[in-house]
Amino acid sequence: MARKILRINMGALSFAYEEVPGKWAKWGGRGLTSVIVADEVDPTCHPLGPNNKLVIAPGWVSGAPAAPSSGRTSFGGKSPLTGGIKESNSGGISAQKIAKLGLAAIIIEGVPEKGKWYTLAITKDGVSFDSADDILGKGMYEVDEILWKKFSNEPAVIGIGQAGEKKLSNAGISVNDPENKPGRYAGRGGLGAVMGARGIKAIVVDDTDGPGVEVANMDLFKTGRKKLTDAIMSHDLTKPGGGLNLYGTNVLMNIINEAGGLPTRNFSAGQFEGASLISGEMVAEMVEKRGGGMTGHGCHAGCIIKCSNIYPDEKGDALVSCVEYETAWALGANCGIDDLDYVAQMTYQCNDLGLDSIEAGNTIAIAMEGGALEFGDKVGALGLFDEIRKMSPLGRILGQGVEATAKAYGVHRVPTVKGQSMPAYEPRAIKGIGVTYATTPMGADHTAGYTIAPEIAGVSGKVDPLTDEGKAALSLTFQAATAFIDSTGYCLFIAFPILDIETGFAGMVESVAGVMGLEADGIDAIEMGKEILKVERNFNKQAGFTSADDRLPEFMRYEKLPPHDVVWTMPDEDLDEVFAWMD
Amino acid sequence: MDLDLPEDAVIDTLLQEISLPSTERGYLFVNAVLYDAPGLYASRNELLQEGAHIGIFSIRHMWPYQYRDGIRMSDSLKAAMEESGPMQNTYRKI
Repeated sequence: MARKILRINMGALSFAYEEVPGKWAKWGGRGLTSVIVADEVDPTCHPLGPNNKLVIAPGWVSGAPAAPSSGRTSFGGKSPLTGGIKESNSGGISAQKIAKLGLAAIIIEGVPEKGKWYTLAITKDGVSFDSADDILGKGMYEVDEILWKKFSNEPAVIGIGQAGEKKLSNAGISVNDPENKPGRYAGRGGLGAVMGARGIKAIVVDDTDGPGVEVANMDLFKTGRKKLTDAIMSHDLTKPGGGLNLYGTNVLMNIINEAGGLPTRNFSAGQFEGASLISGEMVAEMVEKRGGGMTGHGCHAGCIIKCSNIYPDEKGDALVSCVEYETAWALGANCGIDDLDYVAQMTYQCNDLGLDSIEAGNTIAIAMEGGALEFGDKVGALGLFDEIRKMSPLGRILGQGVEATAKAYGVHRVPTVKGQSMPAYEPRAIKGIGVTYATTPMGADHTAGYTIAPEIAGVSGKVDPLTDEGKAALSLTFQAATAFIDSTGYCLFIAFPILDIETGFAGMVESVAGVMGLEADGIDAIEMGKEILKVERNFNKQAGFTSADDRLPEFMRYEKLPPHDVVWTMPDEDLDEVFAWMD
Repeated sequence: MDLDLPEDAVIDTLLQEISLPSTERGYLFVNAVLYDAPGLYASRNELLQEGAHIGIFSIRHMWPYQYRDGIRMSDSLKAAMEESGPMQNTYRKI
């Protein structure tokens, strides 16, 4: 059965299945959410108004038989945080279930009667619109629990916490994990507020007796799947017992700190003296010492990398999943906090309230910079989440993210691009990432530019990656490669084996081609990625973005970052080169 | 940990002192500058200065290329990467 579009109208409380139009047929995941948003959403609309839409799409291979580490669900819409197009993707159990219902995408439009909230239940038979009165006002831990009791077959639960209900710009969208806990987030960009603006508290997806994912060329798919699986299972970083499996993404904490690139105390230094105390190695030590948690946790069935963890509290009971690098950095080093237990408790608060942990940590750091708390005040930092839970005026400001909080506190060191705060890599010390932060259509985003082999990226011999020259060309190819991988449904971490192992890249392409019924050599990952970027950049242009929005914040040009005492020196013209090919 | 090493000590001297086979050594830093990477051996003869801060990671420690694009590196490591391809995530033979 060919993939369908499920269109849900919240004004009429109705739904319809549609054929996938030819112009969208070749896309999945991020590519599909972005082309739909570009085609159907007015770039000048208010993100919380009736003319925005929430688009949900699994990747091409999600739900295909034993496709390894392929549980990414893309969420798209116009972002209340950036004012531009947004794709934010999440792990968890939703992608495979949506795909197995035969759906290419779900488009949610319209708004219900004011004050009405709904839980949507999507099954093979269609959509039901249930009152959400039983879960309204509750955090995601309780919501997931209630909905698994209410609905059978352990469905996927896509939901928003109190932050999304109040339409705060830092509201993310939660997806439950196999243990039915929140913690897998399409966190960035405030899409939780877009979901809340449609009157939806939760979407339950049950794929029982669904048609499954159609694989056009099973032999080609299986050939590719084996190559990719073998590459993942043999690479130092992704294999069982490898870096990601043992320590998660937080394996980076000590390395980035050693390099002087760990943003510390609101981006005022590049090294944090307490980095080792909040590192992945420390998480593993706590799990071993306390029991009750685990490393090597998978966020969805079929993940063979398993980079997640479950962090235990002092009593040895599971507290939260997961304490990963960006979260530990944002709520730890960037706030001057070196206590992993507090970082874990704040992570729990983010998961429950439905907040992006990167933006939340950066926001607390801004409040500290503004004098609300001292850097390192872990008790005070944890207490700020109570303000958001109470929806006090302060809590509402904090929930709007870094830029709103910086204005409220009169702070000028504001580490944002296009309204979205920077992740855990200091661009003054790690210059290449700065080009991507500045120019990606998504706002400052560390997942926007993953590397693939130079010869595949088409930059081999054309640029010298060891000098500042050519960073624009590199960033473009990284961004294009990432836009492609974000469309596959595969986790971005397959980027490690497909960069270092030639057959891994071939396997990834063949598995996608097998599902889509294409010839493997007919897929040009970089060109397809560039098409997606072009659609996204054009949307932003129509929304009013100019080259002035492709810049790092001013303070990075004059404040020297210790220990290397470096400033951001990339000329604006070089940044403009990244997308000059579109003009 | 603090170590007392001879005046002419190089990185290899240090690795021998802590009984770490160079094949098990991943990323290596000297005073926040990257001197070596998994599978490369650019730093082995680098002289150690009095009071140098050395950071040594296992071969399991990942550092994706895009997150180290533009960081400070030693000249010897740059030369080794020119030869082996700077955009690799690991230089160990898989």
